[in-house]
Amino acid sequence: MWAEQIILAVIGLSSGAVVAGGLFAFLIELGVIADFADRTHTADHLLLYEDAAALGGIVGNLFFLFHVPVPFGRWLLPLFGLLAGMFVGCWSMALAEILNVLPIFVRRLKIVRYISAFILSMALGRGVGAVLYFFKNW
Amino acid sequence: MSSNPDTLYIKGERDVEVTKREVTLGDILSFECSNKALIPKVKALKILKIPENGQKRYVISILKIIACIHAQYPGVEIRNLGESDLIVTYENQKTPGMAVHLFKTAFVVVLTFMGAAFSIMAFNNDVSVPKLFDQIYQWVTGIKPDGITIMEISYSIGISIGILVFFNHFGKKRFSVDPTPMEVQMRLYENDIQTTLVEDASRKEEELDVGRANHPGGHRA
Repeated sequence: MWAEQIILAVIGLSSGAVVAGGLFAFLIELGVIADFADRTHTADHLLLYEDAAALGGIVGNLFFLFHVPVPFGRWLLPLFGLLAGMFVGCWSMALAEILNVLPIFVRRLKIVRYISAFILSMALGRGVGAVLYFFKNW
Repeated sequence: MSSNPDTLYIKGERDVEVTKREVTLGDILSFECSNKALIPKVKALKILKIPENGQKRYVISILKIIACIHAQYPGVEIRNLGESDLIVTYENQKTPGMAVHLFKTAFVVVLTFMGAAFSIMAFNNDVSVPKLFDQIYQWVTGIKPDGITIMEISYSIGISIGILVFFNHFGKKRFSVDPTPMEVQMRLYENDIQTTLVEDASRKEEELDVGRANHPGGHRA
């Protein structure tokens, strides 16, 4: 009985550590948060942003697994949705950027002008996609 | 002056911010010369005059700078030990208010906090972590788990350890002397931006270089 519990604890602990490493490497190496710091000219608070990301990961996981009731959850929910959406939007664009999607299309299709329109339509497409996904219950 | 045998060593950073409109060589480069008297004279040479309104960022080729020195001191031998293209950015003296800065910082803190929380939940949800825990629990103990088990608790501790080891610090306390992954990422990002600026300017032929007549601000007053 005790041995089983210890085995389970070791599995849980190591999977947690590895998942955290992988997920956060994915998040940081795509440069999402570095982008935020650069856009807002607040790179001097970089360590603070790292703390926020670390805390977010830890707390988010706790809320998810233990179903902790959130105080004022009803009021925090729209804020959470908005910010999580912004974060994921930046993240997905960073992923597209790192994989050189845009430069390859621009080069292949010989797009010289109106690259901003291209980007805008990409953003709109993502937004429409998200709306469809949620309202159609896919 | 023309028979001056001195060797002048110059070194510049790739990205320089200036706060004056009259940019002298001393603002953007550092110098070393065995003839100490020459250094202040060269430092005072004007390379660029930034117009009142208009372009705030210039890319200057080191050749332009050497030409600028040679125009005054033709005999000096110049050795460049720094970058070959310098980005000069004119930054207005007025800094945004402390309140704006704090607001932006607070916004990014909340954004990263909630974004990271969402990411980990999305990951757990996507790969059905709770279901997987139940399966492993049942496989090891043979009993169907009810409610929270040791796995959830140890996984949460593991997540915390993994994140803190990855980020290499919490608060002001660092676990080792290495820079944190985000500090590295930030520098990489800045490097990419600088490389892009230099290459863009040279491709569009906007770089201030020798043999080109394009000096929007008049390179020497």
